[in-house]
Amino acid sequence: MAVVVERPPSANRWLGALPYVLLALGTLPIIVLYVWLFYSSFFPRVEGFRPVGGFTLENWRFLWDPLSVPQMRNRPPVLPLTLNTFIFAAMTSAIGLLVSSMAGYAFSRLRFPGRRMFLGSVLLLHSFPSVTLLIALFVVLRALGLYDKLVGVILVQTAFALPFGIWIMKGFFDNVPWDLEMSALVDGAGRFRTWWRIMLPLVKPGLLALAVLLFVEGWNQFLLPFVFMPSGSQQTLSTLVKGILGEGRFVDYGLLTAVGLYYIAPVLVLFVLAQDQLMRIYAGGVKG
Amino acid sequence: MRVALERLTKRFGTVTAVQELDLEVRSGEFVALLGPSGCGKTTTLLMIAGIYRPTSGTIVFGDRRVDHLHPKDRGIGMVFQSYALYPHMTVSENIAFPLELQRAVSRSDRESRVREAAAKVQIDELLDRRPAQLSGGQQQRVALARALVKRPDILLLDEPLSNLDARLRHDMRGEIKRLQKDVGITSIFVTHDQLEALTMADRVAVMRDGRLQSYATPTELYAHPVNRFVAGFIGSPPMNFFPADFAARNGELVARAQDIELPLPPAQRPRGTAAGATVGVRPEHIALVAPGEGQAAGEVYILEPVGREQIVDVQVGGRVIRVVAPPGYGGKIGDSVGLRFAPERLHLFDPQSGDRLA
Repeated sequence: MAVVVERPPSANRWLGALPYVLLALGTLPIIVLYVWLFYSSFFPRVEGFRPVGGFTLENWRFLWDPLSVPQMRNRPPVLPLTLNTFIFAAMTSAIGLLVSSMAGYAFSRLRFPGRRMFLGSVLLLHSFPSVTLLIALFVVLRALGLYDKLVGVILVQTAFALPFGIWIMKGFFDNVPWDLEMSALVDGAGRFRTWWRIMLPLVKPGLLALAVLLFVEGWNQFLLPFVFMPSGSQQTLSTLVKGILGEGRFVDYGLLTAVGLYYIAPVLVLFVLAQDQLMRIYAGGVKG
Repeated sequence: MRVALERLTKRFGTVTAVQELDLEVRSGEFVALLGPSGCGKTTTLLMIAGIYRPTSGTIVFGDRRVDHLHPKDRGIGMVFQSYALYPHMTVSENIAFPLELQRAVSRSDRESRVREAAAKVQIDELLDRRPAQLSGGQQQRVALARALVKRPDILLLDEPLSNLDARLRHDMRGEIKRLQKDVGITSIFVTHDQLEALTMADRVAVMRDGRLQSYATPTELYAHPVNRFVAGFIGSPPMNFFPADFAARNGELVARAQDIELPLPPAQRPRGTAAGATVGVRPEHIALVAPGEGQAAGEVYILEPVGREQIVDVQVGGRVIRVVAPPGYGGKIGDSVGLRFAPERLHLFDPQSGDRLA
C-alpha cells in the first residue's frame, strides 16, 4: 500500500524554490555587473551604481565618428579591428576543428605506436600555463617570420586550443559504436570516407559545440594578440579595450563600457543561439 | 561462391580466440557457426569479413586467397547484431551507401537497385524514414537489404536474431532462410542459440574455446553428436548424462549406473575396450511408464508444463533425469514412476575425453 504524505503546499513550494534562491544569490554579482555595464554605456557619467545626467549615445560615437573621440585618435578604426578579431576567432575555430576532429578520430580508433604517450602529453600541454611559453614562442615566431602577423597568432592560439579540442572529439568518437564503422568498411568505404561520411555526421553535436567554444576562446583572447602583434594595424578588440583602460591617468568609463559592450555582444548572442549545442559537449554520443 | 578456411588462427595477445580452424562452405550453402559466448565464432566471422586479420592460416573465396584483402575488396555483405544502420541517413540512403562507393553503378541504376533490394525484404514503404523511426524487425530488414544491394558473393550475419522479441524471431528465422535460398547466396551466420542454428542452417559448425567441435547437418548433430559437448549443447531440454560401467548380462552387454541397467543393442556397443562410459540420453527418448516397468524407477520431482508437452524431472536414486512427457500426462509431484529408455537412442561417450564411443 502506498501512503501519500501530503506536506503543506506552502512549505513544499519553499523547499522547491531553495536551489533557485541559492543559484540566484550566487549569480547576482555577475548579473549586476552586466546590467551596470549596459546602462553605463548610455549615460554621460555613473557614480557608483547611480547614473548621472540623461540618456545619451555619446559614448558610442567611436562607432561612427572615431576621430571626434580623443581616446580613439591614435588607434586603428574599430571596424578593421572587429574584422581582425573575427578572422582570428573564426580561423582558430576552423583550424582547431579540422585538426581536433582528425586527431580525435585517430586517438579514438587507431592503435598506433606511442598512442598512449601522445594522449598523455596532449593532456599535459593542456594544463601548461601558456604564459610560460611566451618567450619561446616569440623566438619561434620571429624565426619563422610570423611575428607581428595575424597568421602567427592564429597558429599559436590554435595550438593552445588543440589539447582540449582533441580530447573532446576523442570522447565523442569513442561513443560511436564500432559496428557502424565495421559496417562502413564492409560496405566498401575506406578509412577516410568512413570518417567523412559516417563518423563526422554522427559527432556533429560535438563539432558544433567545439566550434562555438573555440570561436569564443579566440574572440576573448587577449594575451597572445597583445604580445605577438604589437604594431596596431592587426590588433584585435581585446587589445583596444586594454588600450582605453590603460592609457593615461584619466579613464573614460563611458567609452570603456560602450566598447566593452560592443566587444562582448557577439559572444553573448552566440551563446544564446548555441546554448543547446554547448550543453551537449558533456553529454556526447549518438542519438539514434 | 565456395568459402574455405584453412588452419585459421587468431590470437589477441596471449589469448587464442580461434585455433587452427578448418572449414569449408559449399557454394550456395547456409552455414551456422554455433557455440557459447567466447568460443571464437564472431572472431571467425570478422576474419572472413576482413575486419580482423588472421594471425595465421588462409581464407579462400572461390579459388582466390583473400586473407590479405581489405573488406571492401572481398565481395561480402554483412548484417551486424546491432544492425549498424547509419542513424543520420534515411532507409534508402542506408541501402544506397554500398552502391555509392561502386563507381560502376550509375545514379539511376542505384535508385532501381535500392528499390529492388527493399522490395525483396518488404520495406518499400519505409524508404524515407530514419532508422530511429523503425521497429527492430524493420531495422533488420533494412540491414539485410543493405547487405544484399551490391549483390555480394557471400552474406555474413552476426547474431541476426538476438535483438528481436521471441515472436518476431520465429518469423524472421523462416524469412531469412527463404531469402537465402531465393538469392542463392553463400551465407554464414553466427549464433549462440542452437535452435536458430538447427532450424536455419544447412550445416552447423559447433565451436568451443576456439576449436571446431563438429561440422555436420542439423539432423546428424542431433542424432549422432560427436562428443559430449556437442551432445549437451544441441537439443532442448538438454540431454541427460550419467556415468555407467559395462557388464555382461545373459550374454548381452549392459550399461549399469547405480540402479539403472540398460541393455545395449549391437549398434550401440562401444568400440574398443572401454570399461565404462558417460551415457547420454535425450529427454524425448525416455518414456514414463508404470512403476516397476522400464529400466529404472523413480519419483516425480518437478513438473513443467510447456503447452505442447510437459517436462518432468524424475529423481532416480541420487540423480535427476529429465523426461519429456505428453501433455496429457497426469502425474503429480511425489508419484512413483518407471522410466523406459529407447535403447537405440543411447549415446555413449568416453568419460575422460568426451569423445563418442558409440
